[in-house]
Amino acid sequence: MNVAVTSALREPQALPGWTSPQWEALVRQARSANLLSRLAAVAEDAGVLPQVPAAPRAHLEAARVVSQAHAEAVRREVTQLRKALASTGIDIILLKGAAYLYAGLPAARGRLFSDVDILVPGAALAEVEAALMQHGWATTHHNAYDQRYYRRWMHELPPLRHVSRQTVLDVHHAILPPTARLKPDSAKLLAASRAVSGEPRLRLLAPADLVLHSAAHLFFNEDLGSGLRDLVDLDSLLRDFGRPPEFWPELSARAVELDLARPFYYALRYCRRMLDTPMPEHALRAAETGRPPLGLHRLMDAVFLRALQPQQRGVPDRLAPLARQWLYVRAHWLRMPPLLLACHLTVKALRRQEEGTVPGR
Amino acid sequence: MIWRELDGELVVRNAETGSTHLLGALAGDILQALIEAQSGLTADDLVARLRNDTASEAQWHAAIEEVLTEFERLGLAERAA
Amino acid sequence: MIVADLRHEELARTLAGAGLRLRTGPFVSRIRSRLPALCDTIALHYAEHPLDDAGGFADFHVRLTAPRSLRRWLRPQVLFEFDDTAAFHPLPAGQAFPVLEWGLNWCVSAHCHQYLIVHAAVVEKSGSALLLPAPPGSGKSTLCAGLVTRGWRLLSDELALIDPATGRIIPLPRPIGLKNASIAVIRAFASRAVLGATVHDTAKGAVAHLKPPVDSVRRAAQAAMPRWVVLPRYEAGAGARLKPVARGRAFMQLADNAFNYHLHGRSGFELLAQLVEACACYELAYGDLEQAVQACETIAAQP
Repeated sequence: MNVAVTSALREPQALPGWTSPQWEALVRQARSANLLSRLAAVAEDAGVLPQVPAAPRAHLEAARVVSQAHAEAVRREVTQLRKALASTGIDIILLKGAAYLYAGLPAARGRLFSDVDILVPGAALAEVEAALMQHGWATTHHNAYDQRYYRRWMHELPPLRHVSRQTVLDVHHAILPPTARLKPDSAKLLAASRAVSGEPRLRLLAPADLVLHSAAHLFFNEDLGSGLRDLVDLDSLLRDFGRPPEFWPELSARAVELDLARPFYYALRYCRRMLDTPMPEHALRAAETGRPPLGLHRLMDAVFLRALQPQQRGVPDRLAPLARQWLYVRAHWLRMPPLLLACHLTVKALRRQEEGTVPGR
Repeated sequence: MIWRELDGELVVRNAETGSTHLLGALAGDILQALIEAQSGLTADDLVARLRNDTASEAQWHAAIEEVLTEFERLGLAERAA
Repeated sequence: MIVADLRHEELARTLAGAGLRLRTGPFVSRIRSRLPALCDTIALHYAEHPLDDAGGFADFHVRLTAPRSLRRWLRPQVLFEFDDTAAFHPLPAGQAFPVLEWGLNWCVSAHCHQYLIVHAAVVEKSGSALLLPAPPGSGKSTLCAGLVTRGWRLLSDELALIDPATGRIIPLPRPIGLKNASIAVIRAFASRAVLGATVHDTAKGAVAHLKPPVDSVRRAAQAAMPRWVVLPRYEAGAGARLKPVARGRAFMQLADNAFNYHLHGRSGFELLAQLVEACACYELAYGDLEQAVQACETIAAQP
């Protein structure tokens, strides 16, 4: 299987030695995985960007322009968000990409942002939604079924789109839905959160919680299309936060405390396998508490490793789409009790038929 | 906010909204006056600064108010409480 | 090596196999297709364009195929694939060459953000570039073709690539797309120009392509500083009315017609401001191509 992207991310110092055909494959794969701008940042940070041949370097430069524009757009969005929610007096916890950006983390370097995710207390949800509507955000998913799905069964409002800026906002009140089998405690996340210096009312999850949320998101999210991108986020967070040795036992303990031992196990396993993330042996041993039973373990290995690779170019991997589909079902299974799931998937399938939509790639 | 004067008009890019605008002579003058003043300016201040004899004081007031309303809509300026 | 150096069978074999690595301006496109009609039109329009080695770096990987479906027996179609994924819906097979051209334009405008890309025609005379930014239907391609058949160098008929580092326009000489009435106008205007066959019933009506002049293709490495901006507008019955236009308006037209102005943020603003400050800016309403070309000659003749 072609592994140009993970290879390049693991060893950027070797990039000046890559041949033109290797660069061709790399640029195509990285673009397909939405990691071209990340690759550009990694090459720049490794000091090798000037030695990349001019033709592929132009593509990296183009991707850099895009990621810079994305970062500026996120900052503008968060500024508007703060203004809109100022009257509620509520603290907004930034999640994922926006969090990495405001924390100045290496994980934000070269990242693309598709929307802004925030976490607010469940009790404040109605007030937050009202304030957002007043400032130009409107709900998407007007279908009554979808509205119920998001609000009652998931952990978020249906995505909100701003009427004039057309940007998308996801408002969460927990990091996994109340109907999920695992039960991480949002109150603990809020209690451990930190203020963003210089930005009133903006908060970030504690480092260990940022890692665990990313792991939960990756391994429970139904759309594994951006799987490798999310793994790259995790790798970056672990490399950065994991430099002081005391981080690791804290992280392991927190995983158990938040009932996220399983996704934590997968996170360490696949980060090490695919991106060579440095991690102490004791952390891997501690993560074993989250190890799945043998049969499931083998299956998950086969499924994740296939699904996390960017789409193979030129030689189609016929199993990869199936792997992704299986993960879609699995992610839903872990988030919703089975009865609800069957009902939900049937409705989704029926609706797709009605709309005549072709599944995305 | 960055701007350039081109042939007597102003092109402006507002970093806060990411939008770019072309402002005619009066709007350009108003924006520049607002930027130069450290604290805000009232409509009266602006009339006093900018008016000349080409129109009455009332007409100047009306024109300036219109521009300020448009600025607010575009996110180029805010009315202080 | 250029495309014309390949015998027809070799060209067909290369297209059907590993792909033709065609250089256009700063880009190399690896084009694959088994459609015989496409082979002929590539041989015609890209005869003088250079070919790149198999061991080089291709910027784009595109394929034009007949999609596998029942329709292929009743009404053959052509599908444009970028990186093995369909980029557009299939279209009638007779439109293969226009589809290639639109597809190659899309490759650039969707990806090449190292440049500020304006939807404009660009031509050059005496070392300086004339930009014709305009939305479709404004007559810019007709005027571009008119100028190019009267000795102006073609930099591009659709995509002005502005280099942020230098402010120069980077040439991308490719066939000029003409629509509907323009086709007959150009045939009459320049009887010796090489025009491909007219393709009917496309989304834009009838379409034909004008082969770029050899000189424009050979000088593709020579960038040019912009010196004139002309906003064209086709107006039936008008001769040619040239009027200076305020630079602020020219700036906004360039920004409005740019594919990626917002991606360049502050730098994009400054780049366009510098560009219009250095240019004489006009608007040109025209109904008569000869007079319009003359008007541009007049602008270029000024010190």
